[in-house]
Amino acid sequence: MIKLSKKIALVGSFGVGKTSLFRRFIDNEFSTDYKSTLGVQIQKKVITMDNGTELTMILWDTEGHENISEGRSSYLLGSHAFVYVFDITRVDTYKDINDQLVFLKKHYPKAIIKVVGNKLDAVSKKKVVETLQENKVNYDYLTSAKTGEYVEELFADIAVDLTT
Amino acid sequence: MEQQNRLELLKEILLAEEKDITQSLVDKVDKLAHTLNEPTELAQKVDPLVDTKINNLVKEMPKTLSPVITEALKTEIKNSQDAVVEALFPIIGKMIKKYISHEIKVLNDKVNDQLQNMFTFENIMKRFFGRKPKGTDIINAATSPSLIQVMVIEKETGLLIANHAPDPNDGIDEDLVAGMLTAIKSFVEDAFKGGDQELETLAYELYTLHIQNFYNYYIVAVVSGVYTIMTKDKLEDLLLEFADKGVSKKELQDNELFTNKLKLFFSDQTI
Repeated sequence: MIKLSKKIALVGSFGVGKTSLFRRFIDNEFSTDYKSTLGVQIQKKVITMDNGTELTMILWDTEGHENISEGRSSYLLGSHAFVYVFDITRVDTYKDINDQLVFLKKHYPKAIIKVVGNKLDAVSKKKVVETLQENKVNYDYLTSAKTGEYVEELFADIAVDLTT
Repeated sequence: MEQQNRLELLKEILLAEEKDITQSLVDKVDKLAHTLNEPTELAQKVDPLVDTKINNLVKEMPKTLSPVITEALKTEIKNSQDAVVEALFPIIGKMIKKYISHEIKVLNDKVNDQLQNMFTFENIMKRFFGRKPKGTDIINAATSPSLIQVMVIEKETGLLIANHAPDPNDGIDEDLVAGMLTAIKSFVEDAFKGGDQELETLAYELYTLHIQNFYNYYIVAVVSGVYTIMTKDKLEDLLLEFADKGVSKKELQDNELFTNKLKLFFSDQTI
């Protein structure tokens, strides 16, 4: 059996639900806890893929920053994938998203990037889609850490990308 | 008029004695008023009395107040044991730890000196002719550091490349430990802005985490026992030898192969 370990970093502004997504995926729980002063929380989940590969996903849940460059860059080094999370109910968390994605692609060219709008439980999906289109925001998933909607799908997608 | 004079005369004769008494009282009151209003004179009268009272109070205070204060303190300590322990523990703990650690280092240095002396011609001859092992041999064996765990961790990602623990601890997840160690290492190195300097040790009560940095990875050796400069030197040599002989690019990418190599190299726990 092939065994792989990959580092996935969750980034995005403060209060967008990174930790809640993290907890939903790892423990299948909804949490609003905040991380310690170290500024990062690390957890892992082992997934067995259809092709038999055992993938250990090491998730680095970093503290929120409007601008990724303001965060501790050493925590992001070597990441195989990024989950860029924004709050669909707060425009300020995605108004500069394209600049942030350019930054990530420039500094981590080999990493997979997934853009995720969280808190789908708080507003109607139709309205959100319209608003995001108006703001020219391209996203991969709209999730709800609270209900668990599309969380498994998001990480399963990342797992497939990391193993193929 | 004559009658008037006679009455006055009679009055003087009858009240002569009272007049003297009144005058005497007036004089005494004047003297008292003077004494009260003149601080120096009042002090002369009052000070001895106050001194006597204070002396008596000081003499009596321990007898009367001491039991009350002692009882109050006892009750307070009894009712707030946790708070007292909380307050005293760090101070006493630090003192004891510092003392013991200092004494063990002194002992260890002495033992090392004696061990070196053991190999003098005189000592070798004594040992050759049946002399029993020295007590320091035993002490040295008891305090010698042992290797609890060795982890090879990729520097940038914090991913565990290889791990070896002679006595595995089921309670810890090595992948998470590797990640958190990398985060702590990055945090410390960033916080103190030491340029190219890297974190080399982390001490945790009886354990010391010896960190040896290489270009793409770092090795963490968890040591139990007394971690001295000599231990550090030996570990550095050991890990350099392992890195020199044992680590190839292929092995860095094959966790299983690398872990087996690690186990083989560090099969002996002593340093």
